[in-house]
Amino acid sequence: MSIIPGETDDSVQLEPLFDAMVESMIVIDDSGIIERVNKATQAMFGYEDKELIGQNIKMLMPGSEQARHDNYLDRYHKTGNRRIIGMGREVQALRKDGSHFPANIAVGEIRTTGETRYVGLVSDLTDQRESEELALRRREEMVNVSRLSTMGEMAAAMAHELNQPLTAIANYAAASIRLLDKDPAHTDDVKEALQEIYDQAHRAGEVIRRTRNFTKTTEATRGETTLAEVVRPIRSLAELDTKANNIRLSWGIPADLPRINVDSVQIQQVILNLIRNAVDAMHDTDPEHRSISVSAKMTAPHQMRLEVCDHGHGVNGDRSGDIFNAFFTTKKTGMGMGLAICRTIVRSHGGELGFRKNDQRLGGGCGSTFFFTIPT
Amino acid sequence: MSTTSSKVFIVDDDDAVRNSLRLLFKTVDIDAVTFESGDAFLHEHDADWQGCIVLDIRMPGTSGLEVQKILSERGNTLPIIFITGHGDVPMAVEAMQLGAFDFVQKPFRDQELVDRVSQAMTLNQEAQESVTHKREVHECYQELTPREKEVMHCVVKGQANKVIAMDLDVSQRTVEIHRARVMEKMKARSLADLVRKAMLLDTEDQ
Repeated sequence: MSIIPGETDDSVQLEPLFDAMVESMIVIDDSGIIERVNKATQAMFGYEDKELIGQNIKMLMPGSEQARHDNYLDRYHKTGNRRIIGMGREVQALRKDGSHFPANIAVGEIRTTGETRYVGLVSDLTDQRESEELALRRREEMVNVSRLSTMGEMAAAMAHELNQPLTAIANYAAASIRLLDKDPAHTDDVKEALQEIYDQAHRAGEVIRRTRNFTKTTEATRGETTLAEVVRPIRSLAELDTKANNIRLSWGIPADLPRINVDSVQIQQVILNLIRNAVDAMHDTDPEHRSISVSAKMTAPHQMRLEVCDHGHGVNGDRSGDIFNAFFTTKKTGMGMGLAICRTIVRSHGGELGFRKNDQRLGGGCGSTFFFTIPT
Repeated sequence: MSTTSSKVFIVDDDDAVRNSLRLLFKTVDIDAVTFESGDAFLHEHDADWQGCIVLDIRMPGTSGLEVQKILSERGNTLPIIFITGHGDVPMAVEAMQLGAFDFVQKPFRDQELVDRVSQAMTLNQEAQESVTHKREVHECYQELTPREKEVMHCVVKGQANKVIAMDLDVSQRTVEIHRARVMEKMKARSLADLVRKAMLLDTEDQ
């Protein structure tokens, strides 16, 4: 038999082949009337054979697709413009029970004895879509986890910074109690101590406020902004880390750089991560040379580049190819996810992440410069 | 308990911590002197200071541990109490191994720190007194004539005057006179007191 009704063919074997296909195969005439369907079609759409044959193909499309379908057919008849023929296209398909599903459709044209028919191959994309969405969710989760892990690594610095005001508050409070015990009329000194307690409580609150925004679990959202704006909220957070490690941190991010369309939290995460790595790389650098500079400039008409330059131990030449791989780490603590996630984030913004060894002439431990680009 | 010249020397880079500590010690009548960096402290430091040091372990510039090492090279006798933060335990352990008196973790109970500081100041005062005492005993000893020294060594060994007289080939009466001079010059109130002082000299000779 042939897949074309009414035609006879020597290859009788085609029928089982037709029905063995995983994809739905539908043959329609040039006015869109269904002539044949295979078994997969019945399973995919939930109709019996006889419910489909003789009906217009549009019964398998939701309203929005129907109008488009009419357009395509019309245009093709008039102009021969193949909008759909031969090409795979993603559409919404309609089941008998009224539910929609994402489908890929490829249409072929069959011309026999002056008649034109079309054969459509439909594959169900539901599973593929779900796994794509799952992968996307996983990536976002990983980005969030990595952000928390960066914060975890900074916890010592944060605890130190919180301990200062807390210690002062405890001391002032203890001193006030002792003063009042000695002489309840001793209000001047106590009032002064209370003012200090008030100030220090606000100082502690400020430390927490700086970190709170950054640790929020967020969904990826892009927006137009400037690099200076992106960096502003994390400056004090980064300084907390560098100060605790006795490192000078300098910023060179011009306010007049072109605007960029980025997910601010993710870009902040990359920058903090690069600074965090620079801090770790300088554990053995002698205190005089402990400095990090963060700077940005335009390197091409539509390309901005941010650099984090340290004076640390540098990247071991043998390992330089591995450092962007997930789970690769030279640190005693750490998951080895930092740079892998940074690279994922930068690439999803259309940029590239890289590093180079610093010039020897800079003195001290010559260190490395990590950089990334963002299109403007 | 502390003498008037005994003070607590506070070294901390944080203004608020430093000032609050000064106020706290004021309320318990301990004189405090504050320094905003290890370098500032080392610059002012005088070997004659008495009391104790309260030293922040984590500071920009010269760290607390470095200050401890430099002080130790200078032969410092002031007990050091370190103030440490979260996660500084390994550093605190190192400080203790290098002879720190104690450490307290931020934020600490005021009484805890005040107690440690009082103990450290007492210890320092006792050490000072013991040094002074030793020096005095030594000075007294230097006043003895060679013969008196000989007699003293025999006396503290528990030898009777008769035996000493025979050993030194002098009369018993001469031994008695020497012995009285030794007790007088050494300012010993009793034989037991003389033995104690002789032991101080021995440990010094060793």
